[in-house]
Amino acid sequence: MSRRLLWALPPVALLALFFLYPLALVVQQSFQPDGGGTSLRPYADVFASEAFRNALWTTVWLALASTAGCLVLGFLLSLVIAFVPFPGAKAVARFIDVYLSFPSFLITLALLFIYGTTGIIGSFQFLTTPWGVLLAEVTYFTPFVMRPLLAAFSQLDTAQLEAAGSLGARAPRIIRRIILPESLPALAAGGSLVLVLCLNEFGIVLFTGAKGVTTLPMLVYSKAILESDYPGACVVAVVNVLISVSLYGLYRVVSRRAGA
Amino acid sequence: MLVHSRGARWAVWAVFLVLFVPLFALPLLVVLGASFATHWSGVLPSGPNTANYRAATRGEALQALTTSLLTATTASLLALTVGTWAALAGAALKKRYRRLMDALFVLPVAVPSVVVGLSVLVAFSKPPMLLNGTRWIVILAHTVLVTAFAHQSVSAAITRLDPAYEQAAASLGARPARVLLRVRLPLLLPSLTAAAGLCFALSMGELSATMMLYPPDWTPLPVLIYAATDRGALFTGSAVAVVLMAATLLVLFAVSRVRTRASYR
Amino acid sequence: MGIRFDSVTVAYDGNVVLDSLDLTVEPGEVMALLGPSGSGKTTALRAVAGFVRPVSGRVLLGGRDVTDLPPYQRGIGMVVQSYALFPHMRVDENVAFGLKTRRAGKTETRQRVAEALELTGMAAYARRHPRELSGGQQQRVAIARALAIRPDVLLLDEPLSALDARLRSGMLAELARLHRELPDMSMLYVTHDQVEALTLADRIAVMDAARLQQCGTPRELYRSPKNEFTASFVGGANVLPVTVGCGGVGFAGTELKVDTGNAVAGARATLCVRPHVIGLGQGPNQLTGVVREIQWRGATHRLYVEVDGHSVMADVRELKDPPALGDPVSLHFAAEDAVLLPAGAGHE
Repeated sequence: MSRRLLWALPPVALLALFFLYPLALVVQQSFQPDGGGTSLRPYADVFASEAFRNALWTTVWLALASTAGCLVLGFLLSLVIAFVPFPGAKAVARFIDVYLSFPSFLITLALLFIYGTTGIIGSFQFLTTPWGVLLAEVTYFTPFVMRPLLAAFSQLDTAQLEAAGSLGARAPRIIRRIILPESLPALAAGGSLVLVLCLNEFGIVLFTGAKGVTTLPMLVYSKAILESDYPGACVVAVVNVLISVSLYGLYRVVSRRAGA
Repeated sequence: MLVHSRGARWAVWAVFLVLFVPLFALPLLVVLGASFATHWSGVLPSGPNTANYRAATRGEALQALTTSLLTATTASLLALTVGTWAALAGAALKKRYRRLMDALFVLPVAVPSVVVGLSVLVAFSKPPMLLNGTRWIVILAHTVLVTAFAHQSVSAAITRLDPAYEQAAASLGARPARVLLRVRLPLLLPSLTAAAGLCFALSMGELSATMMLYPPDWTPLPVLIYAATDRGALFTGSAVAVVLMAATLLVLFAVSRVRTRASYR
Repeated sequence: MGIRFDSVTVAYDGNVVLDSLDLTVEPGEVMALLGPSGSGKTTALRAVAGFVRPVSGRVLLGGRDVTDLPPYQRGIGMVVQSYALFPHMRVDENVAFGLKTRRAGKTETRQRVAEALELTGMAAYARRHPRELSGGQQQRVAIARALAIRPDVLLLDEPLSALDARLRSGMLAELARLHRELPDMSMLYVTHDQVEALTLADRIAVMDAARLQQCGTPRELYRSPKNEFTASFVGGANVLPVTVGCGGVGFAGTELKVDTGNAVAGARATLCVRPHVIGLGQGPNQLTGVVREIQWRGATHRLYVEVDGHSVMADVRELKDPPALGDPVSLHFAAEDAVLLPAGAGHE
């Protein structure tokens, strides 16, 4: 046993040095205001600022709304790919895998052409509102819901559907009574992953260039890089990490139950 | 088959196309179209030319491409090594320790990349480990970010691996090291290459932590794309973005070829 | 080389899966471990291979205590249900694997690989990959791979259960031939299929509920089962609850003349009668009942007859004019074909 633990030590040590230790420093610095000493001042300052409260609210509702959008859209699209297959459905499924390997900001870049000031639809100031970010996030993160769903659908026993069909059940009823319950674990797992990723999303928001939309990651960036307010940035970072990590813990529990 | 009547099926497909094409296919097509254009104020881009690409494949863009490729290759190889090591070592542990190790190694997925960037910046801006201002701080952050993915996919593959193989090898007299090198790693090879591809793609597109860390002489492609769009050079930005996508796809394709060879050998 | 289990007990998380097994496999003997799933038979085999560690007891190979030896130092050949052929190696590389770990010379390796493949009839497939072979062929390669290291002990864990019925009987004959050609090699053969055990084994160890129920030659087990489990698991006997009388037993209000041995009159006991020794019609030891189910099995008919609330199975030669369901029938059997067990001899 001890030899096995010894083998596990080097990677854990690396992780501790390059990830956990820096993270601990962030927490430490969040308690050290620029004036020196250790206090809760940075927290008080940040929590008191309207910018932070706005960012927190924007982040949370954007993430929740995007997740809801991704779940609905992902469920519908996966349903068609899996159960009403058309020529090329497989290619579409593979396209989704490829899609996942592209960075998120490409979506915003594309939306800049479609909705931006010089764009196809014209000088419609849509992108600089939270709705533009919402659209981009739904577009980018829907495949993250579709992948576990398609996997779950492919394991669904078609005999069950045929049996239900032969008993006279129509499509909406089959979806509601058989497919939906069977895919709930995958939906829960995909949904909570997307929720975390949306909470942490940076590229999409950065590329919209919208001054009106500030999320927590954006705030971390602007406080640290643009304002050089490290204690403040660290406070926001700690809040963001707490929300995301606790949600991610939930995701792990859910997906372990789902066997995904 | 869920929908039996022909008409209904066509209706379902039509709805699918209406949702799918504008949302998923269009953005990529728009970026591709814009990369060949100079203006886009109507339905279609105008002023077709390849000047954007001339700009996107020389000078600072070319340098950014090399930077990105080097960063992604280094980060994914490092991440693959550490992640695989951790996954293999974790698989040999008792359940309690294994859970703990899994939880530790997925943590970077949950922590926002921006925060990873910030923490690396805070930790490595002062001696004894002064990395700030060097390329290594970017590579380090990328490695931390993608190790979690490498670990996750390799450990998933290890749990899927039938223990009968290693037991057969052991019964034939192979010591643990030989079992690892001659049986387990070759059997894991498809998953390892898949993990490498994933890490590479993630690193190529990484923007959040990079924005916090990049030194002026180590500008990866995403940062360059952001810089271009920020100063309004959307069309050049698109061309660079297409170069980024193409490079990613090319490497992914090469990796998947290796994988097919490995699994059908 | 012989195998000895010296009160071997295996437990996972406090669950005893093998309970103080004492068993000796003689050098050159084929021993079948026969039992239903969960009976502990595979655990016993894995304890010999070294993949499970007994919580108490010893495993001896050729008189040497190997309990603390890692699997790779035991020099045992092993064939498992899934074959576990290395998919990334060709057939000959698979077979050579064990020789290379022993650092055998090139010529010797080549020669022994050829020999093992010849022995299993797979010489023509040396350059193929496992996925290009059928299930039966993969099984032969797995056996060749285990034999190439010339083990003194060959462990086979349900080796035929992934094959279809026709291939199975062919492979069974192959294994019997292999054993004739390698008479010094002991074989421990785990199976849940009594036909495989009866055909192949010199002796059978019947396992149930983590314990050894009975060990003996196939004939012994068949003729004189020691308990109800062995009687019904090997050969599917009828087990009838009876009361011992004088020179016979009472069952369903009928006096049956069987050898009561030293059973005490008035005691409860179990009478084991194989379905195929029961005849239809009048005779000695006659039982009457009602046909509840009738199955045509080609050469025979199997009748399920309800006698005073007990179901009795009888295999009779194919009937020209089989009785209908619900018909009253008479059954009979010869006294020497029945075995009387003391009541409660369910599990040891």
